[in-house]
Amino acid sequence: MGEGAPLTTAALAHVLVSGLATGSIYALMALSLVIIYNATRTLNFAQGEILMISTFVGWTTLQVLKAPLVVALLIAVVAAAVLAWGLERLLIRRAISATHFDVLIITLGLSLILRAAAGLLWTHDEFPFPSFFASQPLAVGAARVAPASLGIIGASLALMLALAALFRWTRLGRAMRAVAQNQRAARLMGISVERVYSASWILAAVVGAVAGVLIAPVIFLSSQMGLVAINGFTAAVLGGFGSMPGAVVGGMVLGVLENLAPLYLPSSIKHSVPFLLLITILIVKPGGLFGRVTARKV
Amino acid sequence: MRAAALAGGAVVVLGWPWAVPRYFVFLASLIAINAIVAIGLNLLTGYTNQLSFGHAGFLAIGAYAAALLTIQAPLVPLPLTLLAAGLVTAAVGLALGVPCLRLEGLYLAMATLAFGFVVVEAILNLDWLTRGNDGLRVPAARLGPWPLATDTSRYYLVVTVAALLIVAARNITSSRTGRALLALRESEIAAQASGVNLAAYKTLAFVVSAFYTGVAGGLFALVVGFLSPDSFDVFLSVDFVAMIIVGGLGSILGSVMGAAVITTLNDSLAGFQSYRPLIFGAILVASMLFMPGGIASALHRAQPRQGDRA
Repeated sequence: MGEGAPLTTAALAHVLVSGLATGSIYALMALSLVIIYNATRTLNFAQGEILMISTFVGWTTLQVLKAPLVVALLIAVVAAAVLAWGLERLLIRRAISATHFDVLIITLGLSLILRAAAGLLWTHDEFPFPSFFASQPLAVGAARVAPASLGIIGASLALMLALAALFRWTRLGRAMRAVAQNQRAARLMGISVERVYSASWILAAVVGAVAGVLIAPVIFLSSQMGLVAINGFTAAVLGGFGSMPGAVVGGMVLGVLENLAPLYLPSSIKHSVPFLLLITILIVKPGGLFGRVTARKV
Repeated sequence: MRAAALAGGAVVVLGWPWAVPRYFVFLASLIAINAIVAIGLNLLTGYTNQLSFGHAGFLAIGAYAAALLTIQAPLVPLPLTLLAAGLVTAAVGLALGVPCLRLEGLYLAMATLAFGFVVVEAILNLDWLTRGNDGLRVPAARLGPWPLATDTSRYYLVVTVAALLIVAARNITSSRTGRALLALRESEIAAQASGVNLAAYKTLAFVVSAFYTGVAGGLFALVVGFLSPDSFDVFLSVDFVAMIIVGGLGSILGSVMGAAVITTLNDSLAGFQSYRPLIFGAILVASMLFMPGGIASALHRAQPRQGDRA
């Protein structure tokens, strides 16, 4: 550790695969932040907490109903959609005409409330969460990779493709892209901007719920797991905030970097890597890898 | 009317240690310290619309700077120690503020949030200097010939510094500088077109804000007497933001009142740790939805208009 010893190909493959798996989760978090940002131009600080609550709801169905994991996933997705819809309608919609600053503070307050509520309902302990995937490592050539990593990557990619299809080919997707481009023009074309707000909150929460169920077996289920949203934000910034392909690439890059860094950097600064990276990108290239430099109209 | 309110306030503040139990003297010192941070943050957020989630980091830098200076150089007079704490923090604020000029809104919020995390990690890693997680005990300071051994003596020191900084903040905000900052908040483009130097004033706001928070950090080290990295986590930064939201953005009096409300609330909820974030979150949401201008504007509205407001 820390000596920068040359890695064997097998070890490197292992690090890359687990990096891509973590990265997939970051990418999903980044996507859910970007979906809401594109529609409403605000950042949802409570995104991680919505993920956490819906994963807890899924876990509770597992415990109480002894239901299969697929059912828990579905319940988590539904819970996320209902929670996001309710929050958007009850709180965010009322403030949407206010400045983005106000909405940012409201979502910050929501994240505190949701985390505390989860603590009261489910305690602040860590719980193991069952995985869809076997725990026995797979041998791919000389490398050994965890099936969970491959499963997370595969499931995330499938979800991303589904999202891409939704944005490209459905009426709702077109409406969401139109609102992202120009809210007033979209409204004039007969698109209900309010419905797009609701839809983007619901869609973002659903993506988050899937990410939560995928990552919970790896990082354990706890009221703190929502903090993964910070890495999602870093990923989104890395890719260029607002760009969906950028969010995916940013997530993957961040995941791989985070897994590679401990091999080359002293372990003491390991925890700071995402934050240092975030500060560096913001300072050096605020537009991110895929971001466009936008000229502001006066 | 105003003079009477001011005189009444001064009597309450000066007489406080003689009227209440010792613990409330300590609590009042904390309120004054937090009020200094809140004013500093408000100069940045309320006046130039730059949101910071990293002020716990600035407070930590000021606190550790003052503590280490007291330990390593006990002969340095206390006012100089506090000044040094402020200046060190202001230098860090400059180093962070210049690159952050390119950022606005939520990007700045996230960059400062990341800064707060990095400061805590740095304190943990520089354990040969800061004693890391074990914490750092701050020796009792002396002000000239007087040892500041009691809560009351420290209270008077904190209140004096706070009063000086409040007056300074009033002067800044009611001067040309304050008007320039307000102009930037309302419209950066219009302000620039009127000859306000955007980069200079935004950086100035960052540096002054960091200075205030650094001085508050120095006082914090003296009053609390023990520093450890976990007292400066991101939730403290959120508390500071809550103070200026509840008190009122762009108001000095509001900053002080917000600090008083949030600090008292924090203290009275100490026994109910699991409900604390719940209540704080609800306060943030409710004040944004129902009281956007904070206590300051609510008071302002409740007060009958006076003709002599210049």
